Amino acid sequence: MARKMLVDEEMNQTNQEEAHYDFDLFVIGAGSGGVRAARFSANYGAKVGICELPFHPISSEVIGGVGGTCVIRGCVPKKILVYGAAFGSELEDARNYGWELNEKLDFNWKKLLHKKTDEIIRLNGIYKRLLSNAGVKLFEGEGKIVGPNEVEVTQLDGTKLSYSAKHILIATGSRAHRPPIPGQELGITSDEALSLEDLPKHAVVLGGGYIAVEFASIWRGLGANVDLFFRKELPLRGFDDEMRAVVARNLERRGINLHPQTNLTELIKTDNGIKVTTDHGEELIADVVLFATGRLPNSKRLNLEAVGVELDNTGAVKVDEYSRTRIPSVWAVGDVTNRMNLTPVALMEGTCFAKTVFGKEPSKPDYSHVPCAVFSIPPLSVVGLSEEQAIEQANGDVLVFTSTFNPMKNTVSGRQEKTVMKLVVDAETDKVLGASMCGPDAPEIMQGIAVALKCGATKAQFDSTVGIHPSAAEEFVTMRSVSRRITCRGKPKTNL
Amino acid sequence: MATTSFTAPKLSSPTFQTLCRNFPLSLPIPKTLSSFSFHLSPFLSRFHLHHHHYHPPRFHPRRLFAVRAESENGAEPIRHYDFDLFTIGAGSGGVRASRFAANFGASVAVCELPFSTISSETTGGVGGTCVLRGCVPKKLMVYASKYSHEFDESNGFGWKYDTEPKHDWSTLMANKNAELQRLTGIYKNILNKAGVTLIEGRGKIVDPHTVDVDGKLYTARNILISVGGRPFIPDIPGREYAIDSDAALDLPSKPEKVAIVGGGYIALEFAGIFNGLTSEVHVFIRQKKVLRGFDEEIRDFVGEQMALRGIQFHTEESPQAIVKSADGSLSLKTNKGTIEGFSHIMFATGRRPNTKNLGLESVGVKINKNGAIEVDEYSRTTVPSIWAVGDVTDRINLTPVALMEGAALAKTLFQNEPTKPDYRAVPSAVFSQPPIGQVGLTEEQAIKEYGDIDVYTANFRPLKATLSGLPDRVFMKLIVCAKTNKVIGLHMCGEDSAEIAQGFAVAVKAGLTKADFDATVGIHPTSAEEFVTMRSPTRKIRQSSESQGNMGHEAETAAGV
Repeated sequence: MARKMLVDEEMNQTNQEEAHYDFDLFVIGAGSGGVRAARFSANYGAKVGICELPFHPISSEVIGGVGGTCVIRGCVPKKILVYGAAFGSELEDARNYGWELNEKLDFNWKKLLHKKTDEIIRLNGIYKRLLSNAGVKLFEGEGKIVGPNEVEVTQLDGTKLSYSAKHILIATGSRAHRPPIPGQELGITSDEALSLEDLPKHAVVLGGGYIAVEFASIWRGLGANVDLFFRKELPLRGFDDEMRAVVARNLERRGINLHPQTNLTELIKTDNGIKVTTDHGEELIADVVLFATGRLPNSKRLNLEAVGVELDNTGAVKVDEYSRTRIPSVWAVGDVTNRMNLTPVALMEGTCFAKTVFGKEPSKPDYSHVPCAVFSIPPLSVVGLSEEQAIEQANGDVLVFTSTFNPMKNTVSGRQEKTVMKLVVDAETDKVLGASMCGPDAPEIMQGIAVALKCGATKAQFDSTVGIHPSAAEEFVTMRSVSRRITCRGKPKTNL
Repeated sequence: MATTSFTAPKLSSPTFQTLCRNFPLSLPIPKTLSSFSFHLSPFLSRFHLHHHHYHPPRFHPRRLFAVRAESENGAEPIRHYDFDLFTIGAGSGGVRASRFAANFGASVAVCELPFSTISSETTGGVGGTCVLRGCVPKKLMVYASKYSHEFDESNGFGWKYDTEPKHDWSTLMANKNAELQRLTGIYKNILNKAGVTLIEGRGKIVDPHTVDVDGKLYTARNILISVGGRPFIPDIPGREYAIDSDAALDLPSKPEKVAIVGGGYIALEFAGIFNGLTSEVHVFIRQKKVLRGFDEEIRDFVGEQMALRGIQFHTEESPQAIVKSADGSLSLKTNKGTIEGFSHIMFATGRRPNTKNLGLESVGVKINKNGAIEVDEYSRTTVPSIWAVGDVTDRINLTPVALMEGAALAKTLFQNEPTKPDYRAVPSAVFSQPPIGQVGLTEEQAIKEYGDIDVYTANFRPLKATLSGLPDRVFMKLIVCAKTNKVIGLHMCGEDSAEIAQGFAVAVKAGLTKADFDATVGIHPTSAEEFVTMRSPTRKIRQSSESQGNMGHEAETAAGV
């Protein structure tokens, strides 16, 4: 259906007067998905305009910045802080390798913060250059859709610009949201957490998702006391249960206080800090309370309803498999569609959009075997199905191979922390359905495994690959014995 | 002759038919080796009880052939042996073959020299080179030495040291050696648990079925030689003052100023180790570049990166003599001059198979000109009952390859499954600083083999370096066959290369295409994601026209943020 519409349109194209529109494409939002779609469309020869809110590390209805969440308030600054925090334990580990360090190591939060901000400003500049090099016209201001082929940009000084475009792409992303509890204004979201003036002494984190876990790891790594509250029994809902337990154990061992099945009910400002009350009646005093309780699509101020673009009940823009909304000339990619909220997925959606609309090659993003990583310390990375998903989807038996081992570095450092790896295999076809790992370098290791899984690699193909010795990754190709076999009814048959 | 007999097992032998009745070959065969052994061993041990002095030629057609030949000779109808397999050398290959053979039901003995961190004609140790004098201690030293770089990096992330971190050599050596002791113990345990008899002493082959260990004779149906290799120092004046990698891994104190002769992976790894542990390091290489045999761009890149970290390279300089001066310091005389003041001079000039004094010549096991044992594709020597795996055969001298050879041999001999080790797309790593990971062909090999190839490269500053301010970079390279679109080579130099290459090795081994790489979504932000986001080739090489030039990949690389 979607494909047919496209073809029809392309056929009509020749009959239309091209000069009728100011732009072939106007993109609202210059984050990962928007910049990718704009650049690639321009490379296909389209005339492209893009608008983005002014730059600032903390986003709002009227603040954003070229580069978007990933570059300014997500992946990049987060990873920088994780690097900074990981040194804490790294340096401890150095002692048994013969290094003599001061008892108490000095860490300067302001320096890290300053350098992080410098880096994201640099990247913001690179993204702007990328756009101009591709011939994309950048407007600073807030974009709104006025009609199916009409956008309006409100500039900083309040003046409004109006442009017509053959296609409009919504790529406005999402923003962190706060739970509606009394005193919620005392808490912060991940935006502020990436730009705190001072390193917290005692941080409370609410949430069990990857953002919560990452910030808990960052602050703990830099020496803060951290209490992590989440609704479920384990953090990281949706990930493999066994790996969730591994992450929880690692966080705990590294000194984070876990509060499963606990919610926050109220925040009160006191002289000593923020008094946090839980639904179990506990009270804590913290200097920082982080809400990592999810993100909501930035779809409110775009005037979407007026032009007939449909939203779902979470506020996400509804799109078909080609990222097209209900209005044929309006499209949407990235977090604002709330499909799979990852930078590389937004890039894939943006690329497919450009191919579909301007490359004469209708392309659907492929959401199978999308790998991802949680940059907790140590990190978790997965691709494909979790054991639970595999059991649910399998026709026959599922074989689970696990390897739990002490990484070689720990044998001398003395750190008590096991790396865990797991392969989930379809017993009948021998296909590897899922891979996961929690331990140092997991995200780097998983990328290549993801290529293999994407192409339906079998366990036999893993086994036939020679290991790289000594590495952690070689465990993935040397898992000889089945840890357990699970019938399609989901009951363990043997446990060797 | 040896190989053809694998193809068609003849079932005419009465002993084999009896065996087949006693041992139902229709047993369900589980998918993995160890579960197989789990099911099989109890059965086989019962089997042994009933046939006390009779060791049947189990499953394997080649052995069937051997037995039949012996019977036809009439001299030795059914011979009793002390063991089904006697392994000389308990390193990676020997332990793997012995364990797996025992798991398949064979009676196995292995002999090994007494433990010492320095190997010689009379010292070795269970675990072998990898565990005691190679991969493991080397990697531990790499971990230790990498910290000085991490201290520098951490400065850029806000960490500060009131006093410059100092390294205490003896703490490292003590902790490293404690770990090696633990590992050699673990290896002994592994053998013990598998039911392998461990004999300490020097094994020597007396005849095709007899091994002499320090005067005691043991007979075996099959003998496996897995005695590995040892560092080699060329015969130049003053060579007695030089150390090899064995000694370099166990020095009593930090070398203040060290010369490393050699440009191979061992030389580079030690250069990184000593440099990180704050020695002054000079590397002397015969050629213009380090790492002969590696991809040319990788060779250039790793040399540059190591030089940036303070290692001094002396290219096209061959050692001629070592002179010890009155103050005890060493001078290295080369074809270009003499450099003085070294506390240590290390030779990393290759390794030689340990084939001397094994009795090989007397039983007719053929050795090539490098001293390596000649074997066929199944690791069989020129004597049908004698086999060899690992470095002593000088095929691909890597632990995981020795493991593969050992496992294949055990299958061939004791599981009725003639198995050739598969040397295609064997990945490997160099734990230099920065490290290298690679699998498949170099660009030069690829051109030779395929002619038309597309080369994709990325050369970027990793996120960590933008903050640390250090000049660290990462280089990545994919080589794609233009005709089939298959990825035939993958190379990387930069942090985590060894870990990153493993997963891609699965993909390359499985014969995946560039399109398959492109279809894979990246993991953000990582270095590894660059391998799945290389969109335009840096150059296309066609047999007709040499190269089609740079495709503007520079701009591309900048976008990979």
